[in-house]
Amino acid sequence: MKPELRYGDYLQAIGAGRRELSFNAIAPPVGRDAQGRPIPPPPPGPIGLQPDEIAALLRPYVSGRFMEQVKAVVPLALYLALFQILILRQLIADSWVVTGGLFAVIVGLMFFMEGLKLGLMPFGELIGHTLPRKSPLPLVLFITLLLGIGVTFAEPAIGALKTAGQNIAPEQAPYLWALLNQWTLALVLVIGASVGLAAVLGTLRFLHGWSLKPLIYASLVPVLGLTLYASADPELATVLGLAWDAGAVTTGPVTVPLVLALGIGIAAAAGRADSGLSGFGIVTLASLFPIIGVLLLTLYVAGTVTPAEIIAAAATTGAEKETLTWYERSPGLEVVMGIRAILPLVLFLLLILKLVLKENLPRPREMMLGIGLTVVGMCIFNLGLTYGLSKLGGSAGSLVPAAFMEIPGADGSPLYRYAVGVTIALVFAWVLGFGATIAEPALNALGVTAEQLTNGFFKKRTLILAVSAGVACGIALGVTKLVLDLPLVWLVVPPYLLAALLTAVSSEAFVNVAWDSAGVTTGPITVPLVLAMGLGLGNATQAVEGFGILCLASIGPIISVLLTGLWARVQAGRQERAARDQPAIHREQEVQAVL
Amino acid sequence: MKDAKITYLTDVALITCVVTVGRGDAVIKAARSMGAAGALVYHARGIGPRERLGLLGIAIEAEKDVVSILVATDYQDVVFEAVYRAAGLDVPGAGMVYITPVERMATYVPREVLARVPDRGDAQ
Repeated sequence: MKPELRYGDYLQAIGAGRRELSFNAIAPPVGRDAQGRPIPPPPPGPIGLQPDEIAALLRPYVSGRFMEQVKAVVPLALYLALFQILILRQLIADSWVVTGGLFAVIVGLMFFMEGLKLGLMPFGELIGHTLPRKSPLPLVLFITLLLGIGVTFAEPAIGALKTAGQNIAPEQAPYLWALLNQWTLALVLVIGASVGLAAVLGTLRFLHGWSLKPLIYASLVPVLGLTLYASADPELATVLGLAWDAGAVTTGPVTVPLVLALGIGIAAAAGRADSGLSGFGIVTLASLFPIIGVLLLTLYVAGTVTPAEIIAAAATTGAEKETLTWYERSPGLEVVMGIRAILPLVLFLLLILKLVLKENLPRPREMMLGIGLTVVGMCIFNLGLTYGLSKLGGSAGSLVPAAFMEIPGADGSPLYRYAVGVTIALVFAWVLGFGATIAEPALNALGVTAEQLTNGFFKKRTLILAVSAGVACGIALGVTKLVLDLPLVWLVVPPYLLAALLTAVSSEAFVNVAWDSAGVTTGPITVPLVLAMGLGLGNATQAVEGFGILCLASIGPIISVLLTGLWARVQAGRQERAARDQPAIHREQEVQAVL
Repeated sequence: MKDAKITYLTDVALITCVVTVGRGDAVIKAARSMGAAGALVYHARGIGPRERLGLLGIAIEAEKDVVSILVATDYQDVVFEAVYRAAGLDVPGAGMVYITPVERMATYVPREVLARVPDRGDAQ
């Protein structure tokens, strides 16, 4: 008889690559007292790790988050750089600085996002859950308003808006210059207050289950009215681009989740848990209200100072520029700005927690680390913004016109015939918008919601494509505006009227998704890149200001999603009719013609 | 110096405790105070007493927390008792706790702990 041996026994016998250890040998011995009862052993202490073990632990943690940001930044940067080199035949100035800056953007965003997840978000959720249970509604709404101001300060893209103001010539656009240089604090406060007001209204909306449609109409009337009024005055018209872009900027990665966390907490406490739509609406209002706020502020500024005074003031401040202290110059300024953006928000949240809720932080060390990471990330991101994204966007923007007109810095410009060059510039802008949007992670989440709302009829992919195409068309339209120097009013008012019309005939669910998709698309990478590109383009083509691209990029998806929603509904209706054996071929052709 | 050998831990017991949803944390706290290094919690739906108690069954929540704790066999009775008391399992429908012998287990063992024990049970 052949001797039999289990493979497992064989492996055990030769002890291949293993050793055995009794768990009891490494656990502390069990103590018993006189009565034979067990004495609790000392609690297992913290695990001390060797450096290489720490590295093994942190590597997957860091690399996953790092790659996430690399995926968002690198394709866009590569596209910009390749376009510049291959189509425009220009080398990128200071390519090492730009590369370093982009790296800083990636690292900064990584820190910032992780810090947000660890520190600020749990903070917001905690307050959102406990505040409505402990305080009366008016106080809750007041705190929501204050929080809106706080998060606006913390929004990274707001910094981009501020830096954009330095290139404005005060003689051409005095009020715009004044707003971005002398009234910066007031400007951010007004934008913040508008976001806060939007958060309050949005919260009330899902407390009482109001429809979004009347709210949209009610806010569109003053928005469009003020825009038309301002466009009538040539001095005020220059501010329109800024005002409309401010709306797009506010709905970034800090504002949206924090305000939503608070709003959903309030709704849950009031017994109106997620209806699927409860989170929507705030983003929409938060992108419309700042337009009203900024325009009203402009009217106030216009009422107090004259353009001549501003130009005089600009001349004197220009002379003072030589004597800047360290915290007003480049590397220091970004760090100070980063700290100033986050700390007030954190202090405000802490005060609410301690004074109003009288509670302690649930995991103080983790949250403090998160807040620290947020601040560090914001500072690094700001540095990267200055040296990387803004520079790259600006240089691309100032060189794109070389395709169709003479640019002093570019050799051999114009490179192509006018019509060809303009087409190249528009295609460039379109692809940039499409690529930047399709990679946006927030859009994916919105797509999932849309699919659920329509019982799978409106596919996630359809929404992502619709929004990306909308943004792309918007950005291309914005570039057209800068190239041909069209007045913004005529580009903004008709699309919004069209959007209002489409809103009236669309279903409530789609109105929510469509209007929110506008806010979702303007992330922390798209905004500075597009802003810088617009300003560079504006400078190169001698336009007065380079704003306005972002707001066109947010009206684009509203219209495209509403149209796609209508189409989906028509399709659904057609299928129903087809089931009743009544094909409507003409209807189908009509719909396709519209699209 | 990286050790290529896997360290197999023997004399391990798996203590599984099924309690009403939300009470898992109390169980974990009791187990940890008696020397357990960690715990896993699953959410589950329990069927049994709830159906067999008739109308009284409404008092028993169907949603359960299942807590798994791995301990050294020397500790199994201590932790078992602590978990039993913390979960209040002497009440009908409160849940149950059981011990499963574990043949072997392998995980990260801190180096200083490994260095502390004599290298016995090595290749024979």
